[in-house]
Amino acid sequence: MTIKVAVIQFPGSNCDLDTIHVLNNVMNLEANLIWHNDFKGDKYDVAVLPGGFSFGDYLRSGIIAAHSPALDEAREMLRDDKPIIGICNGFQILTEAQLLPGALLQNDSLKFICKWIKIKVENNSTAFTNKMENGFIIDIPIAHGEGRYFTDKAEELEENDQIVFRYVDEKGNPTIDGNPNGSLDNIAGVCDLEQKCLGLMPHPERASEQILSPYHTDHGRLFFESMIDFINRRS
Amino acid sequence: MTRVKIEDKELEVDLTEEEVKYINKNLKSNPSSTELGMFDVMWSEHCSYKSSRPKLKLFEDAEKNYDYVLAGPGQDAGVIDIGDGYALAFRIESHNHPSAIEPYHGAATGIGGIIRDILCMGVRPIALLDPLRFGTLKDNPHSQWLFKYVVKGIADYGNCTGIPTIGGEVEFDESFENNCLVNVACIGLGTIEDFKHAPSRAYNPGDYVILMGGSTGRDGIHGVTFASRTLTEQSEEDRPAVQIGDPFTKKLIIEATLEAIKTGYVRGLKDLGGGGLSCALSELTGDGGTGARIDMNKIFIREPGMIPFEIMLSESQERMAFVVNPEGLDEVLSIFQKFEMVHAVIGRIDDSKVLKVYDGDNLVVELPAKALSESPVEEREEKKPSYLDNLIKEKTPELTIPLEEVIYKLTGSENICSKEWIYRQYDHEVGVRSIVKCGDGDAGVLRIIDTNKFIAASVGANSKHCYLDPFNGAKANLVEVCGNVIAQGAKPLAMVNCCNFGNPEKPESYWYFSQSVKGMAEFCKKLRIPVVGGNVSFYNEDEVTKTAIKPTPTIMIVGLIEGREKIITLPFKNAGNDILLIGQTFPELGGSEYHSVIHNIDGGISPKVKDETIEARWKMFRELYENDLVKANHDVNKGGFVITIAEMCFKNELGADLDLSVLDLSQISNDELLFSESAGRFIIETNEDDYDKIMSIANKYKVSVYKIGKVSQNPFIIINGLEKETIDLDVQKMKKLHTSTIPDYMEI
Amino acid sequence: MGLKDFIVEIVLQNKEKAKDPVGATIQRDLIAKKGYANISNVRSGQYLRISVEANDKEEAKQNVVDMANDLRIFNPVTQNLTILNVTVKS
Repeated sequence: MTIKVAVIQFPGSNCDLDTIHVLNNVMNLEANLIWHNDFKGDKYDVAVLPGGFSFGDYLRSGIIAAHSPALDEAREMLRDDKPIIGICNGFQILTEAQLLPGALLQNDSLKFICKWIKIKVENNSTAFTNKMENGFIIDIPIAHGEGRYFTDKAEELEENDQIVFRYVDEKGNPTIDGNPNGSLDNIAGVCDLEQKCLGLMPHPERASEQILSPYHTDHGRLFFESMIDFINRRS
Repeated sequence: MTRVKIEDKELEVDLTEEEVKYINKNLKSNPSSTELGMFDVMWSEHCSYKSSRPKLKLFEDAEKNYDYVLAGPGQDAGVIDIGDGYALAFRIESHNHPSAIEPYHGAATGIGGIIRDILCMGVRPIALLDPLRFGTLKDNPHSQWLFKYVVKGIADYGNCTGIPTIGGEVEFDESFENNCLVNVACIGLGTIEDFKHAPSRAYNPGDYVILMGGSTGRDGIHGVTFASRTLTEQSEEDRPAVQIGDPFTKKLIIEATLEAIKTGYVRGLKDLGGGGLSCALSELTGDGGTGARIDMNKIFIREPGMIPFEIMLSESQERMAFVVNPEGLDEVLSIFQKFEMVHAVIGRIDDSKVLKVYDGDNLVVELPAKALSESPVEEREEKKPSYLDNLIKEKTPELTIPLEEVIYKLTGSENICSKEWIYRQYDHEVGVRSIVKCGDGDAGVLRIIDTNKFIAASVGANSKHCYLDPFNGAKANLVEVCGNVIAQGAKPLAMVNCCNFGNPEKPESYWYFSQSVKGMAEFCKKLRIPVVGGNVSFYNEDEVTKTAIKPTPTIMIVGLIEGREKIITLPFKNAGNDILLIGQTFPELGGSEYHSVIHNIDGGISPKVKDETIEARWKMFRELYENDLVKANHDVNKGGFVITIAEMCFKNELGADLDLSVLDLSQISNDELLFSESAGRFIIETNEDDYDKIMSIANKYKVSVYKIGKVSQNPFIIINGLEKETIDLDVQKMKKLHTSTIPDYMEI
Repeated sequence: MGLKDFIVEIVLQNKEKAKDPVGATIQRDLIAKKGYANISNVRSGQYLRISVEANDKEEAKQNVVDMANDLRIFNPVTQNLTILNVTVKS
């Protein structure tokens, strides 16, 4: 069967076309770009909330988009066991909509950071990580001003296996050196209790083609391969 | 300033008395205050290029002389055909004066403006590049403040709109302390069809005129005349002329505009920048040979009580004017509705060749459509500055410290050090096109998805060389920026420029401008590089301190790489490979970093350019590339070739064993050899087995190529072969100096 | 009379005649869309709460204003500064 992927376009999304490019031209899927007001979850198997600056990031990153009807649709999809991934601004939207725990605060450097970094897989049983090994180190870029993950329930997240990725240094350790933005416990990505909704600050769509990677890797593909596998197994 | 009596009032305008007479005699007797205000803005230096036009004629007609040029100077952006059905648009312009008093919003709205220029060519903006100039950072809180907020303004605006900033250039020099330069360049990509769909002309009577985007407020009225006047203490009062940028609205305008163009019903498109609606309407109709009837009351106004003059001249940001085929009006409007963009049908195109604006039943403007763009030319005097001869005679003082120490100092100097602090704040990856990362090459390299083609782009200027010799300085800068794209494996395709100079009413400032343009025009003609667009920013001087900025003709070069395997990067790859120096080094220390950092002098003899020599080197490179003989390439720029080699060592922490005895040292001193910035040289890394093949190609083109050493595993640069001393440099120490300078000033 | 501790609360905002994209977007895309029709205008700003030692309220206020001007805490080109409150620190 053909997997139906929706990339939701909010006003101010700017990684929407990049994500469509990777899904269609690299992963050979048939993804659709859908304006947020027109999005209907029942027509799709999976939804991607892409990066960008929805509503200019005015007031607080993700807060205005979190009130979009698209998020009600997303909630419905999760109830139907359909997976959702939020990348960068998409992650911020998912936390503001309270589909994911925690919040993303301004980087501790107070500056926007665009850089290739490394993250380690902490939970390979989510809908978007099942093709990865736990402990695997992913080359991937970040590009954000507000990506410092914070939660007052870190222990709870740990117990529930909701921490999916941690920022690590060159040696693969979650140290201060490896933490680009001051995130609590080096957390780079988290999931919901059912492990079907994933949010992360780094950009898998920018790491899915060797030509774009300074290390000639394409680790970003693993996210989308996992997603395809998850949907195929489920149906 | 001229005082004009109009409608029983005395008005002060920037038009000269002759201009007012000319208007009365030839264009409109007894113009209304609104009409006169429109002339006042449209005939300002910024909009009319009245001082620069006579010299800009020296550039060849690019559209006529180059078959791949689709749009040349005079349009909002230059456009070239890059094959496979794709068109590339690009432009560079200045936003100096606003940035000098409000760096954050000044720089941000500069980015906003250049994005609009590219968008109105009908293509998607895909990259930004920003050449900047500030006073020196050291012990200078004012320069640090300007620098910090200009970078933040560019970052916030570019990042939010999703356009990667893929390159830039920055120079620190005292002459820019109170008049920083913020030049902004943008590249757009689309199909040739997209470009042809949306001319910045209204050709068809009956078409609707739609204003879309932000609302019209009182902001920026007279903003253009403001930019055409020298900054004075009074600018402190002029403040509201700097606008607030709104990148979120701009992002929606980009998407809504591109979607509207795809319908095929948009038949004319123009952004609203300097001169606001007056400028947009007169260019659409004047250049299209049509006229228009506009109903001012339809325009969405932000502030109550705005008078016609203010509405016609408002420079409120984030607005576009569309000329739409009546058949597709509803479809286009529904797109604007989807994006929830404020829009209004404000009038229709007709065949009257007259621009008529109504305020209700009142006709407030009635002017020949072409009148506003037909300002008289100002012939300016030019005179070589009297101080120059003495400055050029300035001798290099005796060097009292070891060469090693000089090189370490240069490595960490403000103009040579790493600019990572800047580019980390720019999203340089969005768009998934950026192939060569910032710091890994002399130019940004973008892929054209769906093809095997790559675009290399670089910007730059060399103010210090132009100060001593604007003719050769402007040429040498062209050689350098072209060198940047050549070093990546590209062939230079076209150039756009942004001329930043002092007050053109002063003969010395005008001489610098005139000489620079002459140098650029001559070189471009000889090397077959079409000049497809330009922008001139005069009056860059500070009335209080009476200093003009150093002359800064900034350029952007766009080049093409045919094939992924033809992309070359800067870092050394393998120990054991040869290091070759391309091109001869002359005693040309004038305006060098060595002179300014070590000896604190501006003068001396600056680099000269021999067009034929440069042409031969470029031809040689093309043949070296065809045979895949170059492993790494970096053009020699500030600081001389040892700095170039060090920068190639950094990434992979390699070293270099050099023996300079292969160079002719009889006519040149050690410091001249090491630190001259002679134009058109490169350092390349090659495989030792290929040496003979390379030399035979070099000989064929009569290019001087010197094998000066080898890449070494050991991270040290050892220089033998100089008369007195051996130089031993620690690459790790250099790298630390190179990367810590700007953070040390900025992160307190 | 000895020095006392005061709290000076200030707000930095875009000038009234200048655009405020942040406030406008919050009003248009969030508040109005969620049906709060009676809320017609939102202006954004930055709030700073500053502790200062001075002889009296007037001096405390003046100290803060002078400091803000001196250090370009706000840029008068586009912004203005409003004193919200000056209180004695309890």
